[in-house]
Amino acid sequence: MVNTMLRGTTAVVGVSDTPWYKRGTSGEPALKLVLRAIVSAAEDAGVDPSEIDGFVSYGSERNDGQRMMPALGTKELRFGALVWTHGGGIPGALGLAATAIVTGQANVVVVYRAMSEYRGRRLRVDVAQDDTSPQHLVNGLDSPAQLCALRSMRLIEAEGVPARTLRDMALASYHHARRNPRAIGRDTELDAETYEESRWVSEPYHLFDCSRENDAGSAVILVSAERAKDLKQKPAYLLGAPMGAASGWGMREESGNPYWSAGFQGVADRLWADTGYGPGDVDVAQIYENMTGMGVSALIEHGFCTPEGAGEFVTFDNLIAPNGGLPINTSGGNLAEGFIHGMSLVGEAVRQIRGTSTNQVPDANLSLMTGGPGDPVVSTALFASAAAL
Amino acid sequence: MEYEFHAHRITGGIGADDRFWESLEEGEFRLPRCADCKQWMWPAHFRCGHCGSWEQLWEPVEMSGRIYSWTRAHYAFDRTKERAEDVPYVVVVAELPGADGARVVGALAGPDSGVRCGVEVRGHIDPPSAKSKGYPAVRWSVVD
Repeated sequence: MVNTMLRGTTAVVGVSDTPWYKRGTSGEPALKLVLRAIVSAAEDAGVDPSEIDGFVSYGSERNDGQRMMPALGTKELRFGALVWTHGGGIPGALGLAATAIVTGQANVVVVYRAMSEYRGRRLRVDVAQDDTSPQHLVNGLDSPAQLCALRSMRLIEAEGVPARTLRDMALASYHHARRNPRAIGRDTELDAETYEESRWVSEPYHLFDCSRENDAGSAVILVSAERAKDLKQKPAYLLGAPMGAASGWGMREESGNPYWSAGFQGVADRLWADTGYGPGDVDVAQIYENMTGMGVSALIEHGFCTPEGAGEFVTFDNLIAPNGGLPINTSGGNLAEGFIHGMSLVGEAVRQIRGTSTNQVPDANLSLMTGGPGDPVVSTALFASAAAL
Repeated sequence: MEYEFHAHRITGGIGADDRFWESLEEGEFRLPRCADCKQWMWPAHFRCGHCGSWEQLWEPVEMSGRIYSWTRAHYAFDRTKERAEDVPYVVVVAELPGADGARVVGALAGPDSGVRCGVEVRGHIDPPSAKSKGYPAVRWSVVD
């Protein structure tokens, strides 16, 4: 049953990322970076930053609205919240922003994320939240790369998904980054041989399977569908953004099921039910890939292919713009454009609807953005042009 | 008994597994199950989601099972720097039939050439050490 309250009733009207900096090199704290991104997103939309009355983020974002309002000239802060837990919460943050708008609690809501190693503790506090369990740390498991590696190893050895799918995810992202002048990885010519010869981080992940670590800020602005019509940009309507976890999921350390899951069991089904569309309708997708293998799991759970069919679906040719069956991560994504906890994937999903991506998919009317895979709770979002409402 | 891991407390995660670590320091491998409906509860939690009981039994479990998944870590990240000299090292998630398929993590001991999902492993307990961050640790070895 389509969710009539949220389907197409709000839209993203402004997007912006700051330039990408290798971690520790921005010279600016996260608060300043995120202010830059928000002001720029407001200019993109054609609204004054002081009009923003709602602030939604996710994970452990510390730059809350109350901290920013003196710098934004905020007329009134009417709504603010953090969505659980890590990058899994991004589409959920969009959904919460939309909920605030359709229930009349706020009018102009910004969803954002910023991280900086400058005077900060980017990875351990901002990303991992210092919340790694003793069951992991005692046994030599620290990084998300290692925890995700365990899931992808199971995907390969027990579900029979070819390891080659991980490589092709990476090749597609780096291919797209070549045409994105903002991408940190734009000068890296990644081919199969370079990938195979790159060092292991945690098997089955090579260096090129892992997302980057950057300082940057990223923001998008949502308003009601009605107001969106009067603003500067072509609106990217939000059709749905469910969040959640099925009964075998949630925080279960290494005993969650299915183990190879990116967490989208049930959540992806609700996206299709809420929006009235299915995986076959999607024109382009931004698949949050903290690590490539988790992106493969996300594709499977969204119904683009089965584990048995993943080898056939997840190929370089099928994943690239403009003519692949499902072009993914058309900005270069978390692997090759830059990593600001996945947030910049939202902007790219919106640019595809506007027709302004540097790897534009022709006539993109339905644009998917999936949240951080493998999180104990995740979310996923579908955007549409007016033609697909 | 004074438990060494108390002095090295790691606060992340659910935080209901003290008895697990205490048992390991006592040289025993115990996992929790619900005192009422007898459901195995792993990772340990405070309330049984099946029957609602707040009581758990910590029962001895045979340290024997199969590799459910594994990774070979080629980089010692920030909080596991104590293992830098062991890189690359293998970490195993073992599935234990003696506790309804509970999956327990442990660093591999011995040769890693036969490591693969489905391979049989047996476990032992290492006393607290710097490598395991002041905690006792489960170690898994491939059964030839």
